Amino acid sequence: MLLKHSAVQRLALSMGISMLLASSPVTANGPIGDHVNQLQTHLPTYAQEVDWLIGKVDGMVGTYEAKGKGGVNSEELIEHWEAVDFHAAIETNYVPVYALIWQSLFGVKDGIAKEKPVAVIRQEQQKLEQSLWQALGAVKLAAQYQQQGKLAKRGNDNQLTEPNQILAEIKHRLDRVVAKAAEKLPQQATDIVHNTYLNLFEGLEGRLIAEDAELVESLEKDFNVTLPLALKNQSDVEEIRKVVSTMQVKLDKASTLLQQAQSQSRDVF
Amino acid sequence: MQRRTFIQGLVAASALSSIPLTRAFAESRVSAVSVEQLPLLKGQLTLYLGRGEGGLYEKVLDAIRERNPALDLRIRRGATAALANTIVAEARAGVRRADLFWAVDSGAIGLVSEQGLAQPLPKDLTQHLKAGFRYPQWAPVTGRIRTIPYNPQRVRAEQIPKNIMAIADSKLSIGWAPAYASFQSFVTAMRLLKGDLQTASWLRGVSKRATSYAGELGVVMAVERGEVDIGFANHYYTLRLKSGKPDANVELAFTENDAGCLVNASGILALSQNETAINFIRYLHTREVQSFLASEAYEIPLVRGVEPPTGLPSLASVSPPDIDLTRLAELRPTLDLMRDVGVL
Repeated sequence: MLLKHSAVQRLALSMGISMLLASSPVTANGPIGDHVNQLQTHLPTYAQEVDWLIGKVDGMVGTYEAKGKGGVNSEELIEHWEAVDFHAAIETNYVPVYALIWQSLFGVKDGIAKEKPVAVIRQEQQKLEQSLWQALGAVKLAAQYQQQGKLAKRGNDNQLTEPNQILAEIKHRLDRVVAKAAEKLPQQATDIVHNTYLNLFEGLEGRLIAEDAELVESLEKDFNVTLPLALKNQSDVEEIRKVVSTMQVKLDKASTLLQQAQSQSRDVF
Repeated sequence: MQRRTFIQGLVAASALSSIPLTRAFAESRVSAVSVEQLPLLKGQLTLYLGRGEGGLYEKVLDAIRERNPALDLRIRRGATAALANTIVAEARAGVRRADLFWAVDSGAIGLVSEQGLAQPLPKDLTQHLKAGFRYPQWAPVTGRIRTIPYNPQRVRAEQIPKNIMAIADSKLSIGWAPAYASFQSFVTAMRLLKGDLQTASWLRGVSKRATSYAGELGVVMAVERGEVDIGFANHYYTLRLKSGKPDANVELAFTENDAGCLVNASGILALSQNETAINFIRYLHTREVQSFLASEAYEIPLVRGVEPPTGLPSLASVSPPDIDLTRLAELRPTLDLMRDVGVL
């Protein structure tokens, strides 16, 4: 399924932020290859990998339908996904869809493990395919940005100086929290939450208190209680995504407030 | 945030006694200078900057850059503790990339200083600083004071003990944030001043009537809402809250001569013998920068002749303990103690 025009526009808008500020991704799946800095060149490979993955999953579900749980090794689903270059391409460029891929991948895998009806597993398979196509669209868009020199190279958050930049980075890292939860790596997700709070949000909250103390208090609770608790309890990924989405809305409000405050602050000299 | 233990001994003052802030002002003979009196900065400087204050430090740096076009200021940003560890690691590897380290807490300064990496500062630089804040190898930039925010509709100021230790025996309901770095620095100061046994007893006593919050702003907000009578928090949370909500039901009380009114500080040290680096520090001590950080970040100026932030009560009655701030890096025993007592 190809992305519709409006979906591409929405994607472009959100990627326009996350790509330019993307920083130091830490993957659980080994080093990121140089290919992510030459996306355009590797687009044909990515497309082949997506086709291959979809075929592999379809074959596995078909075997399950014919032979039952004993006929398939569902662990191979994860191995196939981790083996392809496309994995890193989407992880470094559009984390929300990356999280969806993991979520539906585990949907298929766990469905087989729990011997759920084929119809249920086919629904998860369909979600996985949609996510993979959406991801390929996102990577193609990222390749265009990269060609135009608008895509930041990975691994440097030293340029984050303005509050709105820092808040955008916080939102990006929260997307990674969802991705790690979807990967069933709750400790890594929790570490990202704690580091993001200590290294990025805590430095901003002082200025934000005078603008909207209740907003800061609410975000403090989200960072320190609500989200870590949801991760600790290994809540459903949709619940974690909901917590993160709520936080991101609050962070958008914070960004607006801080920009207003900054425009009104006095000069130093 | 984890801090490492470091070797004591940077500061000449050793007695853990109090220094009334009013007296501290009187002892400083030299007022802050204006930026107009400073030489222009030239050449290349590399600053390691601990993140904090939501871009206000960046605004100071931008202003310094704008005023000094011949200065090539390179900045590496990161969490204060991480940068301190980086500086130490670089030194062990035989390299020095930073000329200056501006940290948001004095514990990280201690971590670098104990390795012998900080260069001595000229005396004429520290003479602008208030007494009790003059260190030979690092310069405090601005301060923050521990306070007791209270709700005046639930409790009168005279009901709040002037001795932090006595609060454990009071009947007041309390809000606190034991997991918060500022609170842990305060407990470290209590350990240094009163010892582990008394501190453990105090933590046990307070915990019986305490409600925990995620952060110290949460503590102040809880006091304001009337969920608790009093709380423990740095001063700026209350000032910032009152800035946005002038009729907030919260006032500040101070204990006397104990960890309850500790003044902690952000600070800067020079890692190279470089005149431009030293002069850069002078810029941070100018009237203009100190006044900016007081009015915009609600931080306490630590040079003479600059007004404290609006809303901070007269300091005449406040007498913080005299304590080597770099010793606040001794966090590990504090965390162990808090875990043993069961408050972490």
